[in-house]
Amino acid sequence: MSSLNSFISFVASRKSEIFHLFMQHIQLTVFSVLISILIAIPLGILIVKYKKLSGPVIGLVNIIQSIPSMALLGFLIPVLGIGSKPAITMVVLYSLLPIIKSTYTGLTNINDATIEAAEGIGLTQSQILLKIRFPLAMPVIMSGVRISAVTAVGLVTTAAFIGAGGLGYLVYSGVQTVNNNMILAGAIPACVLAIFLDHIIGKIEDVATPQGIKASSSDNSNKKSKPLFNIKKYKKPLAILILIAIFAGIFMGYGKKEETIVVGSKNYNEQLVLGNMIASLIENKTNYKVERKMNLGGSSVVFNSIKSGDIDIYVEYTGVALVNIMKKEAISDPNEVYNIVKDAFKKDYNIEWLKPLGFNNTYALAVKQELANKYNLNTISDLAKVSSDFDLGCTMEFANRMDGYLGLQKLYNLNFKNVKGIDGGLRYTALQNNETQVTDAFTTDGLLQKFNLKLLKDDKKLFPPYYAVPIVREDTLKKYPEIKPVLLSLEGKITAEDMQKLNYRADEGEDPRKVAEDFLRAKKLID
Amino acid sequence: MIEFRNVNKIIDGRTILNNLNFTINKGELIVFIGPSGCGKTTTLKMINKLITPTSGQILINGNKIETEDTIQLRRNMGYVIQQTGLFPHMTIKENIGLIPSIQKVPEDKINDKVVELLNLVGLNPDDYMNKYPSELSGGQQQRIGIARALVMNPEVILMDEPFSALDPITRNQLQDEIFNIQQTFKKTIIFVTHDMDEALKLADRICIMNKGSIVQFDTPAEILQNPANDFVREFVGKNRIWAQPELIKVKDIMIKNPVKSSPNRTIIQAIGIMHSNHVDSLLIVNESNHLIGFITLKQIRRNLDRSEKVSDIMERELITVNEEESIVQVLKKIKKEDIGYVPVVDDEFKLTGLITKSSLLTILSNQFLDVEADI
Repeated sequence: MSSLNSFISFVASRKSEIFHLFMQHIQLTVFSVLISILIAIPLGILIVKYKKLSGPVIGLVNIIQSIPSMALLGFLIPVLGIGSKPAITMVVLYSLLPIIKSTYTGLTNINDATIEAAEGIGLTQSQILLKIRFPLAMPVIMSGVRISAVTAVGLVTTAAFIGAGGLGYLVYSGVQTVNNNMILAGAIPACVLAIFLDHIIGKIEDVATPQGIKASSSDNSNKKSKPLFNIKKYKKPLAILILIAIFAGIFMGYGKKEETIVVGSKNYNEQLVLGNMIASLIENKTNYKVERKMNLGGSSVVFNSIKSGDIDIYVEYTGVALVNIMKKEAISDPNEVYNIVKDAFKKDYNIEWLKPLGFNNTYALAVKQELANKYNLNTISDLAKVSSDFDLGCTMEFANRMDGYLGLQKLYNLNFKNVKGIDGGLRYTALQNNETQVTDAFTTDGLLQKFNLKLLKDDKKLFPPYYAVPIVREDTLKKYPEIKPVLLSLEGKITAEDMQKLNYRADEGEDPRKVAEDFLRAKKLID
Repeated sequence: MIEFRNVNKIIDGRTILNNLNFTINKGELIVFIGPSGCGKTTTLKMINKLITPTSGQILINGNKIETEDTIQLRRNMGYVIQQTGLFPHMTIKENIGLIPSIQKVPEDKINDKVVELLNLVGLNPDDYMNKYPSELSGGQQQRIGIARALVMNPEVILMDEPFSALDPITRNQLQDEIFNIQQTFKKTIIFVTHDMDEALKLADRICIMNKGSIVQFDTPAEILQNPANDFVREFVGKNRIWAQPELIKVKDIMIKNPVKSSPNRTIIQAIGIMHSNHVDSLLIVNESNHLIGFITLKQIRRNLDRSEKVSDIMERELITVNEEESIVQVLKKIKKEDIGYVPVVDDEFKLTGLITKSSLLTILSNQFLDVEADI
């Protein structure tokens, strides 16, 4: 019951956000399905007319269908950037196959005698298509659309990875922060939407199926019923409505405002808080318009976005820039790292690194507070003395990294009784249950607050520095000169402990924007 | 009205139609018949340009159809096919009124026309207008098919095996209706079938085709009586004519060399002739073979004077039939006059043969035994 209550209170506290994402999800789904209908049905007609094309076309959409969605997004981002465009493109591409196939099947599986009669009495080919083939193929075509639409609801959740929003945002954020309420808040509306769409299209299918065909499938003796409503009568309004929906969608997708600063973030809570912090700060201190493109995806997605100009600003970590983006060896001196990436980014990408925000979000080892007290543990060197009594529960990745456990072993002469590979939030559960005594962590992890853990100091500086720094496109700085001083006011303002607390609040389901703004207010950075 | 000139159709090097030449007159009901693959349907579909000839020309009212607008041509031509070809998603009214509504004929006029046509094909408009094809029986659907073919008031109606999927009773009714419609409206109807009975029943002329060529194009009577070759005889069926007894003529079934005598013979001699020919009567003809009387053994027995001549005692009141008359008329006459035999004469009253009850019995029984054997 308590979990239900917490779910309800979570939904209640985030209801406007959930509603917004839900609407976004609907828009993306409906818009994508409409576009794929607009592409697939004419294509289906085309391959009916030119049978030779049917092999290549169906083959091609089959291949598209077999590409994993993540890979497809990977291909699309360099071309289309991030946000709703690649997301819609992906969903459209996946929706093509069922609609094209059903259109083709529907239009070709019509009784030859019917077509011959139509020709024989003097209908033109286009009249045959419109008045005979199409109405008769309608049930089959609609079943294809139905499959596409339901699949699209699911596919749109992956759109969250590339910043298109939608309910996937909640699902993936929830997975990352071990927040079941958030996962459910995304998954349940998505399911409901899928079922609802299936139902609606089923109804449309029912209405679109010509009465005469229906009568033959069911018993026709007692069916004198008129169709529920006369489609013909509503044809025009219906068409107009659909057109409006399409155009509205187009404006939403492409009506990108030119005169705004776009602030982006990666897809986890710390980034969301920092992104919102920057956005709110600029909004508050300048007259510029700010657009928030949060939760875009992993480092490479967000970095590509700032490179291509889809976003103007986000917060990057020095270590990530050095190791992941520039593919260099890790260096332990924070200032050296900062200078290397600052110079390289300026030269290679015309992106400027501002000043570090203060905290270093790097790897760390953590133990429970009482354990630390008992053994008087403050540094990893302290831990090394007693490590043979303890079990380490860490991620697989940490266990296998040179700047992780392997390096620790070497540098500190750590020697745990057991090393257990455990993923994500489970590491903390294991620690809580005393199945393990030591875990790896990130220094700003909100869960450190939640479980009251003690971080051990990396006194021999094994872990590379990951200082958080706002990075901005140079052309943006030129165009909006007030940004720089405003953002510099954040320099050194956030300690690791601050960040832990902020993360913790966001993990617990608070709106990252509110968390960020509360912090700014507390620090008197905004009014 | 419709003329085929040297029409050929070759598909993938295979000759489908081989040099067709024929003319169909206005108001005729022409039936194309032949075994499967003979080209009868291909020929029909050339008339509304569903199939185009490889070479040759087709003219309607003197105009080459290849230069005419295909759609317009088809709209001015009724087309009825097997399995109806009705559009399942349209009501009966929409099916019939489809072309007029495409041509923007006012709605109320279409309505009137549909009502008129439904009445014509014997379906109550109020009951059927708003039904869908699937709610109708096969026969009713085909009636709608006919109504649809008539909606543009075409001069020509093409019918491609329209009744072949129907049960015999329904088929008969519809054949009668098509026949009546043709009689009433004098439409030119081209009708394809594989059913010889249907052809004989409906056709003004029948075109028998085989392997892409026309074998015989003639009236039903001519085809039955004078089949052009063995193929036609075989195809029509040699006993087919018995289904049309009015086409069987006396000269086909009579005894060709009846026993006859001159009026100048003596009775003794007459008795001799009867004896030697195993008959009990003689037909009496003059020198020019004109029938002038007959004599029976009974008459001779009544007359004891054996020295008299045949001419003295012969019966001069004669009941005869003309050799061109049909078997039906002979049977009527035999029944009416209650006689056992009828002499057959030509137009000049010359004796050409004889029909007796026993010769009729022989012919009819042969017929039925043959039929049994065929089955």
